[in-house]
Amino acid sequence: MSQPPLITAKGLSVYYPLRGGLIGPTPFVRAVESVNIEIAPGSFFGLVGESGSGKTTLGRAMLRAAPISKGDVYFDDGEVAFALRDLGKKDLKEYRKRAQLIFQDPYAALSPRMTVRDIIAEPLQVMGLTKTRAETDARVREIAVKCRLNVEHLRRFPHAFSGGQRQRISIARALVSGPKFIVADESVAALDVSIQADVLNLLKAIQEDMGLTFLFISHDLSVVAHVCDHVAVMYLGRIVETAPTRSLFANPRHPYTQALLSAIPSLDPDDRGRAQKLIGEIPSPTNPPPGCKFQTRCPMAIDRCRVEEPVLEIADPEHRVACHRWQELAQHGLPQEQAL
Amino acid sequence: MSRLLDVENLTLQFDTDEGRITAVDNVSFSLEAGEVMGLVGESGSGKSVTAKSLMKLNPRNAVYGPDTKITLHLDDGPIDVMSLQNDAEMRVVRGGAISLIFQEPMASFAPAISIGDQMVEQLLIHTSLSKAQARELSIEMLDRVGISDPSARFGQYAFELSGGMRQRAMIAMALSTKPKLLIADEPTTALDVTIQAQVIDLMKDLVAEFGMGIIFITHDLGVIAQTADKVAVMYLGRLVERGSVRDVIRRPAHPYTRGLLAALPTLDDIDAPLTPIPGDIPSPLERPPGCVYNTRCQELIGPRCAAEIPAFSHVASDHAAACHLYDPKEDAA
Repeated sequence: MSQPPLITAKGLSVYYPLRGGLIGPTPFVRAVESVNIEIAPGSFFGLVGESGSGKTTLGRAMLRAAPISKGDVYFDDGEVAFALRDLGKKDLKEYRKRAQLIFQDPYAALSPRMTVRDIIAEPLQVMGLTKTRAETDARVREIAVKCRLNVEHLRRFPHAFSGGQRQRISIARALVSGPKFIVADESVAALDVSIQADVLNLLKAIQEDMGLTFLFISHDLSVVAHVCDHVAVMYLGRIVETAPTRSLFANPRHPYTQALLSAIPSLDPDDRGRAQKLIGEIPSPTNPPPGCKFQTRCPMAIDRCRVEEPVLEIADPEHRVACHRWQELAQHGLPQEQAL
Repeated sequence: MSRLLDVENLTLQFDTDEGRITAVDNVSFSLEAGEVMGLVGESGSGKSVTAKSLMKLNPRNAVYGPDTKITLHLDDGPIDVMSLQNDAEMRVVRGGAISLIFQEPMASFAPAISIGDQMVEQLLIHTSLSKAQARELSIEMLDRVGISDPSARFGQYAFELSGGMRQRAMIAMALSTKPKLLIADEPTTALDVTIQAQVIDLMKDLVAEFGMGIIFITHDLGVIAQTADKVAVMYLGRLVERGSVRDVIRRPAHPYTRGLLAALPTLDDIDAPLTPIPGDIPSPLERPPGCVYNTRCQELIGPRCAAEIPAFSHVASDHAAACHLYDPKEDAA
């Protein structure tokens, strides 16, 4: 990558204390553990994983909306640079103008008592970005047009809008402060497919138009394949594989990524071969297994996997994978009939 | 195969403060024993309401159309579901001949009663088993759906199980009364894709073993392709296309079905553009006249589309679409 990254996570860990025992040290949930990521400016970076993998927490930590326990996240857009962990109150306000979140549920994210105009204008007022009402209105209209909202409808309340339109309102509100970095957390998961395509196309168009950088969090690999240019796969708080989208989908290296891909139901009714089975479920992050976190479900696990945690290794120049056996896997593939 | 279910002219309206809303409009289909029918549509298409109508599980303000006829063909002869009046009469159908699996397994179990007690309760109502036999069967069913240590799980509560486990327990409970018809309403939507694959495989195994008919409601065409024998597509309360799963997915005939497939991101071609269906699904209070899809349709053939409700036309022997494209009648305008 020629350009310096916009967002860099270095050894980022997020721990949440558990309601605890009176005796002994407080137990922690290790939601995110030692994550290193670089997100280039202008990229559409996908983050995938099952529920409980820590993808939402990682996204929030990058917005300083989750506590950073270890490591740090750095933001640098060429004008200002921040280290998020020890951000002062004033700098945090500045950072909020540059980094915003689009939520999953467009029904819960919008106040039913505010007009669409007020919903979109609220960040401008909170951040003090506009001085007069006329200026605010002009900015709201400009962003509403970009998000393909009908400006005649800005005085209506959210209940008058469909799910797709509501999500466009959420997007407009996230964009109104002129951010550089957007975290979109499952932003199309609650939408029907016909509308989902519309919102995805809108996000892509806005990204190119405004030169934004996206962290796109999703459990839906087909969606990620279509919109993202780079993907990281998370499992139990760790990044287990990261690569350019094309490389990841054409040549998944980690057995977990392979299992995820094979579990997507095929649209071909004659292709009802059994998905390569992943046994069991993701373990609880309060009690993660030793060694590789995936070893309890991995068809390739050997003794080494049960004691030693793999680190991300370079498989291709931009393709990294955290698996002790990725080279064997690349040569021989997953075992067909694995004795359980 | 023998006929299990006939639904004829199912029409269902709701009386609301804003007027009478048509949720299901003249829907007809049938199902054979051992057959899996996928019922596809977006939110608001009326697919869940249709399925619940088969057990008359709708709120008090529901008004069925006078021509509605639902016949369930059981071993002891046909049952006219519409003629069943009170809860006692409905008991033959609800949880007996028909079982229902919901999308959200957390909401489907009572939180303060153990999984096992809930399973036993319904067996005592619907079968002649003793309490001990019901317990034995429940544990056996939990084992069948792949729940480890079933006798321990039997005493646990819903919150103690993970999402996938809860959905398995739900399936075990739904199947323990040996229903003839299973209605699965988005049973895998809330699950992760790896767990979804496990549940789909489990359901396939159980169909093969128990041979019940299944109505599988989902918005996910991939799940349909993997599970269903035939498909019915709903839009705004109407059935717009029906046919074998191969025909409907490979050669979609109705413009709405084509639109759904074009909007779907697939891994086969990640560079293909995603084509949304223009506009939004209209409010059920403002149902368009003529074909309900005419406000969003990309293949309108003329004023007839907004004036005349299209009837089903066959496009292949086992494949029909309700669209004027396939109606040879000349357009008068």
